Amino acid sequence: MQSNLTPRYLIVGVILIWAIWALLPTWEYQQMSEEEKESLRTSGDLEKIESRIIRQGLDLKGGMYIVLEADIPTLMGNLADMRDERLDNVLQTAQEKSTAPDVDFFTVFEQEVNTHGLKLARYYHQYGASQEEIMAGVMEEADDAINRVLEILQNRVDQFGVAEPTIQKQGKHRIVVELAGIQDSDRARALLQSTALLEFYLVKNVGATNEMLAQLDEILRGTTDEEELIELTQGEKTKDIPEPEDSETAEEKDDDDDEGSKTVSELFGEKDSDPADTSKTAAEIFADNPLTGLLTAFSGDMGIQEKNAYAVRKLLEKPEVQSKLNNANGQFLFSHEPDLLQGSTTQEKYYRFYYLEKTPELTGGVVEEARADLGTLGSGSAGQPVVSLTMNSDGSRTWSRVTGANVGERISIVLDKKVHMAPSIREKIPSGRTQIEGFNSINEAKDIAIILRAGALPAPVNIIEERIVGPSLGADSIAQGTNAVIIGLVLVLIFMLVYYKASGFIADFALIWNILLVLAILASLEATLTLPGIAGLILTVGMSIDSNVIIFERIREELRKGKTPKAAIQAGYDRALTTIIDANVTTVIAALVLYQFGTGPIKGFATVLFWGILISMFTAVYVTRTIFNSITSRKGITSLSI
Amino acid sequence: MRIIKDTNINFMGNTKVAVFVSAVLILAGIGSMITKGGPKLSIDFKGGILVAVNYTEAMDINVVRSSLSSVVIDGQSFDFSQAEIKHFGDESNVAVRLPIMENEPEKFSRNFVNKMADAFPESVPENRTEFILSIEKVGPKIGAELSGDAVMAIFSALALILLYISIRFEWKYAVGAIAALTHDVLVTLGIFSILDYEVSLAVIAAFLTIVGYSLNDTIVIFDRVRENIKTMKKVTLDEIINKSINQSLNRTIITSLTTFFVVLVLFLAGGEVIHTFAFAMIVGVLVGTYSSIFIASPIVAKMGTSES
Repeated sequence: MQSNLTPRYLIVGVILIWAIWALLPTWEYQQMSEEEKESLRTSGDLEKIESRIIRQGLDLKGGMYIVLEADIPTLMGNLADMRDERLDNVLQTAQEKSTAPDVDFFTVFEQEVNTHGLKLARYYHQYGASQEEIMAGVMEEADDAINRVLEILQNRVDQFGVAEPTIQKQGKHRIVVELAGIQDSDRARALLQSTALLEFYLVKNVGATNEMLAQLDEILRGTTDEEELIELTQGEKTKDIPEPEDSETAEEKDDDDDEGSKTVSELFGEKDSDPADTSKTAAEIFADNPLTGLLTAFSGDMGIQEKNAYAVRKLLEKPEVQSKLNNANGQFLFSHEPDLLQGSTTQEKYYRFYYLEKTPELTGGVVEEARADLGTLGSGSAGQPVVSLTMNSDGSRTWSRVTGANVGERISIVLDKKVHMAPSIREKIPSGRTQIEGFNSINEAKDIAIILRAGALPAPVNIIEERIVGPSLGADSIAQGTNAVIIGLVLVLIFMLVYYKASGFIADFALIWNILLVLAILASLEATLTLPGIAGLILTVGMSIDSNVIIFERIREELRKGKTPKAAIQAGYDRALTTIIDANVTTVIAALVLYQFGTGPIKGFATVLFWGILISMFTAVYVTRTIFNSITSRKGITSLSI
Repeated sequence: MRIIKDTNINFMGNTKVAVFVSAVLILAGIGSMITKGGPKLSIDFKGGILVAVNYTEAMDINVVRSSLSSVVIDGQSFDFSQAEIKHFGDESNVAVRLPIMENEPEKFSRNFVNKMADAFPESVPENRTEFILSIEKVGPKIGAELSGDAVMAIFSALALILLYISIRFEWKYAVGAIAALTHDVLVTLGIFSILDYEVSLAVIAAFLTIVGYSLNDTIVIFDRVRENIKTMKKVTLDEIINKSINQSLNRTIITSLTTFFVVLVLFLAGGEVIHTFAFAMIVGVLVGTYSSIFIASPIVAKMGTSES
C-alpha cells in the first residue's frame, strides 16, 4: 500500500509547492510599501515581479475600456479621387444601413452602388477598372488603414505613459484599448480619438468675409423661419423647458448688445450702428440677420457666444449654405476653445469664428518633430503652453513659399478642424519652424505634441463603447469582493467541519487549496481577476464542496450497508466519480460558452469558473482520496469520522 | 450528523402541484414582461450612457432630478429630469441613465458630470477624481451585437449540454434537463421583470451559471436513476426515480444550502456592482434545485427510458 501511495504524495506535493511558488510574487507585492515599489521600479526589477502577479481587471483597479471603430465611410469618401453628390449619397445610405448589428459596411456599399448604378471606376480608378478589383482594392486599403491606426494609437499611448496598456484589434474595423489606473479619462479619450489632422489655411480678408456673411444672411432670411431660429439659439432639443427661461435668454441677448458688442456688419462698417437695434427683440435681430445677428466683435476677430455655437453650426450645415461656401471656395471654422472677453465683466465665453480658404496650404504630414514648451519671454505667448514644430525639407520649402507670398495676411493653424491660432504673417519663414498656441494647459500641449509626432490617423475613429471605473469604486469593489469571499468561505468551512467532522476537515483542506490553485493559475496565465471573477471564485467554493458532499454521502451510505471504512471509501469514490464528472462537464461547457461570447469582465468570470471546476476535480477528488488512503492504509482502522 | 434520515417522499405523485406552481410563476413573469414591453434591458443591450457619481452626503433623488431639468452643454440645452435616476449602492451615490443622442456635443459625459457636481458644490468630494464612480457608454450598434451574442451564448450552451447529455445518458434525459433549464431561465427572467431589475451582461453570465448549476443537480439525480435502473428490476420507472431523488436528497439539500449561503453573502456583502448578479444566482439556486426534482425527473418518468 505504502508504495502505491508514494507517487500520489509526489504529485500532490509538487502541485501544491508549485502553487505556493506561483503565488509568492503576488504575496510579496501586496506586502510592499509604495517606497519599496518605487525603488524597485528605478532598478527595473519591478516589471519582473509585476509580470508574475495576479493582474487586477479595470473594474477593480479603476481605468478605462474603450472600443473604437474606424469610420470607414469617411475613409471611403477621402479615398475617392473625385467626390460628388451621388457618391456621398451612396456612402451615407450605406453608412446608415451598416449601423444594424453584424452588417458589413462594404457589403451594403456594394449593394447600394449596384442599385444606384454608380460607376466605381469614376471615383476609384487608382484601384483598378472593374468593380471587383476596386472593391478588393478599397477593402485592402481599409484593412491597411486600421492597422496603421492601431500602430499610431499604440505609439500615442506608449508616449502618454500608462502602465500596462492593452491595445488590440477586435474584428475587422475595431480596436479595443484598455488603460488601467487612468485618472483623467477625458485626456486619454482625446488622445485616442483625435485624428491629429493638422492643416494650415489662409484666412480670407475682411472684404471677402463681409460679403460672404451678407450673402449668407440673405440666403438664410429666405429659408429659415423665425421660430426655427429662436429654437436654435436657445438650443432647444427638448421641449420641456419652462416658459420663463425663454424670455430670460432673450433678455441676456439684449444685455449683451447694451454692453457695446457690435454686430459684425457694424464692425466691418457695412452699416452704421443703429441705436434702435438695442431695443429690438432678439427675434427681430435674427429675422433680419439670421447669421450675423449671432456674431459679435471679439478682440479683433468675430466671436460667437458659447451658447449660440450650436445654432451657428446648425445654420452652417444647411445645404444651401454649404453650396454657397463651396462655390466661394471658403469655409467657416470655430476656435478650439471658447474664451472670456478680455476686460469684460460677464462670465460669458466666446468662440472665435474664422472664414478660411477651402484648401489647406500645408498639412501635418510634413511635421518631423513636435515638442511641447512654454512660450519664451518676449514673444506674444510668454509663459503660455505652445507646441513647437519642425518640418521636413518639402514642408519647409512650401512653408517658406506660402509665408513669403502672403506677408501681411493671416494664416490659421487648424487641428482636427478647429482653429488653434490665426496669426498675421510678419515675414517669410524659411526654416520650417513654427509654433502652435492656444492650449489650455501644458498637458494639453504635451498631448498634442504626442499625437503630432505619432502622425495623423488615416481614418477617423469613433468611440462606440466606453467604460470608465473611477478609482474609488474599484477600491470599494475589491474590499467588498474580498470580504464576500472570506465570509462565504468561512461559512462553508465551518459547516463542513460540523457536519462531516474529521472528513469535513479533509474537505476544508482541499477547498482552501482549490482557491489557492485557481489564484496560482491566474497569476501564471497572466489572466486578469475581475469583479465577476471574484464572484466566480465564490461560486467555485460552492460547487467544489459539492464534489465532497457527493462522495461523503456515498461513503455514509456504504458504511450503513455495513462495509468496512476502507471498502466504503473505495466504493464511495468509485460510485461518485462518474456523477461528479458528468455534473462538472456541463458547468465547464457553460463556462467555455461564456468565455467565447463574453467581453472583458465576463471573460474573467468564465476563466475563474473554468479553472475552479477543473481544479476542484483534482483537490476535492484526488487530494482528499490521497489523504483518506493514507489514513486507512494504517492497520486497525475500524471507524471513520464522517 | 444528518439533516434527514432515510426518506421516502413521493415526489412523483405530487407533480401536478409542481406543474401548477411553475405555471403560475412563469405566466406571472411572462405577463409582467408583456405589460412592460419585454425584460428591462441595461445599457449593455439597449445602448446608452450610465453615469454614477459619489456625493459626500445622502442625496434626495427628486432634488437631483429637478437640478437636471435644464442642463446646458456646449450651447445645447437638455432636459434630463425624465431620465432614470436612482441611488447606486448607498444614499450618497447617484446613477443617471441617459440615452445615446444623435449629434452628441463633444465631451458630453465630462460636461454632464461637471454639471452634476456644480449643482451641489457643497456635497462634492474635494478630489474631483473621487466624484466619478463610473461612466459607461454603449453605442446602439454594440448594444444590438451584445444582445445577439447573449442570445447566441444561451442557445449554444443549451445545445452543447443537450448533446453531452444525449451522449452520456439518453436523449430523453436531455429533454428533461433542457426543459428544467428553460424553466429556470424563464422563472428568473420573470422575477427580474416583476421586481423591475435590469438584465445586464453580468445577469446573462448569472443565467449561464444557473444553467450549469441546475444541470449539476439534475445530473446527480439522473446518475442515480441510471444506476438504479440496472439494479432494480420489476419496479416502475416512477418508483425508481422517486427512490433516486430520495437517495440523493441529503446531497441536494446540503449542496443547495451551502451554495445558497455563499451567494447570499455575495448579495449582501459583495457591493453594488455584483448585486443583481448575486440576486440572479440566489433565484437560480432555489429554482434550479426545485426544477431538477419537479421538472426534469417527471419528464423523464413520463417519456420512459429504453432500459426500463
